[in-house]
Amino acid sequence: MITIKDLGFTYGETGGLRSISLNKEKGHMVPTEKFVLKNITMNLEEGRIYGLLGENGVGKTTLLTLLCGLKKPQMGTISADGRNPYDREPSLLSEQYYLSDEVPPMNMKAVDYAKNYGKFWEGFDMDKFIEVMGVFENDPQQKMTHMSFGQLKKTYISFALACNPKYLFMDEPTNGLDIPSKAQFRKAMTKYTREDSVILISTHQVRDLENIIDPIIILDRQDVLLNATLEEISEKLYFDYSSEKIEDALYSEMIPGGNIQVSLNQNGEDSKVNIEALFNTVHQHKELIKGIFNK
Amino acid sequence: MFNFRRFGKYFATDVRTCWANFGLSLLTISLLFPTVLYIVTTAFNLILRSSWDGPDMGIRVFVFAVAMFCLVVTMPVKCYGRITEKQYGSFWLTLPASRLEKFVSMFIMTCIIVPITGTVLYLGADAIICALDHTCGRNLVAGGMELLRHMSDLQEFTMNLGEESLTVENATVAQELVRQINSPWLYVDDFFGITLPFLLGAIFFKNGKTVKTFLAIFAFSMATSIIMSPFMAEWASEIVTNANNDPQAVISMFSHGLFKHLALIDTITDTIVNLALLAGIWFRIKTLKH
Repeated sequence: MITIKDLGFTYGETGGLRSISLNKEKGHMVPTEKFVLKNITMNLEEGRIYGLLGENGVGKTTLLTLLCGLKKPQMGTISADGRNPYDREPSLLSEQYYLSDEVPPMNMKAVDYAKNYGKFWEGFDMDKFIEVMGVFENDPQQKMTHMSFGQLKKTYISFALACNPKYLFMDEPTNGLDIPSKAQFRKAMTKYTREDSVILISTHQVRDLENIIDPIIILDRQDVLLNATLEEISEKLYFDYSSEKIEDALYSEMIPGGNIQVSLNQNGEDSKVNIEALFNTVHQHKELIKGIFNK
Repeated sequence: MFNFRRFGKYFATDVRTCWANFGLSLLTISLLFPTVLYIVTTAFNLILRSSWDGPDMGIRVFVFAVAMFCLVVTMPVKCYGRITEKQYGSFWLTLPASRLEKFVSMFIMTCIIVPITGTVLYLGADAIICALDHTCGRNLVAGGMELLRHMSDLQEFTMNLGEESLTVENATVAQELVRQINSPWLYVDDFFGITLPFLLGAIFFKNGKTVKTFLAIFAFSMATSIIMSPFMAEWASEIVTNANNDPQAVISMFSHGLFKHLALIDTITDTIVNLALLAGIWFRIKTLKH
């Protein structure tokens, strides 16, 4: 399990006096408004694929890079089963994989890349790499410098899954993938990930991942607006797809063939969560949603 | 912190990655430089002097030094410069090996493996060219051996002291001086002093890595020269004055380990600078973030 406690991070005035101030009520130093992430507290549990959503610049990539140890938290702590990611201990690194939104074209064939680097991850499975490359219809014998961005991304996704990491962090993994590849990605994610893994996927393309991410985390400026499972969301919010107008709807949008309306689930009815509508609802009613889900 | 088995795996990967990124440059510099030098020199001699003559020892030693310098300057940027880029750097930092293993591998590759490989390839190419065309004379290895033999049989010694120069025409003293500067570490230290700044520059600067490293070296050299030159000038002038007044006293000074002490001072200062550079490289790896 990954435990995040009072996490704070700022770019620029790193650790400077202007990035913290004394909160007289709390009686200790707290981060100022300049922080990208401020007082973030949450647990990421095993066996779940978390979807990390948020507008541009709210700190999704920052959070991912903090979780995998590429950045040092300036306030608070991150613990991956008792280990600090920023220590970059090989034992933890070999259990995690961070797939950046931009991937480097290495000057070698995909299969050679997998052979060359795969051995550092204890759970790496070369057959699985070849298999996932097959799912993506990618040629393992192709040189990575000759691949398109989408092919390169699929190679790295295949490699990430073949590493069998316990902690998998993916930043915009479906960016640059064509339509069939997005379906192949969903298939690969459900078939080739460990059951006890903690997976965190940051994305703007919520439709690409609608059926695989659960729970949903929605980040806002310095804050977590929502961190809930689909079950919890559908317990508290009702997603109506009929053409009938709901008077007290929190959010309503016309879609081909009708409407999508989100309202409070006062009757305990079941409904299918539409993540895009959820995102917009949360953003339009920040305090209300925080109040409902933090009860 | 350091696991030999994992280090072995990491080092092998580092060699392969470095070969993929720098292999062609290594071959080009090491093999093409002596070949092009031979072709160009022979062609010029044929056109201008109408004679078939290969490059002489002097020009070959000069081009060898230039080639090795090019190798040392370009290698760190090609092999490790990308760790400052978000794309590759994120992957490199999260690769499951310890910081110390990555640091040691980087040092061995930059300061030992690549320079030795480059030197062996260059000298091999030079030896083949000289074997095929005797107009080149002795190859660089044979020339070097000859120089060493000559040094052990030295009859006189000239020392440059700033604008002044001092010649000691005494075989025993000259050979004693050679013996006093005959420490391999003196030269290894100097060599690391050339390679390490470029490695640090490659992983420290985000762009313009080589140019900025040259500028940093220039600034550092200027600063040390400004501080040290008054002392050096005074010391050199004292020796030259003493030599004019009492040549025997200076010879005695040389015979009693002056060069040995100078070599020791040089080694100590180089070692301090190299340790500072290594510390810089280590802290850069430790604090690198993306």
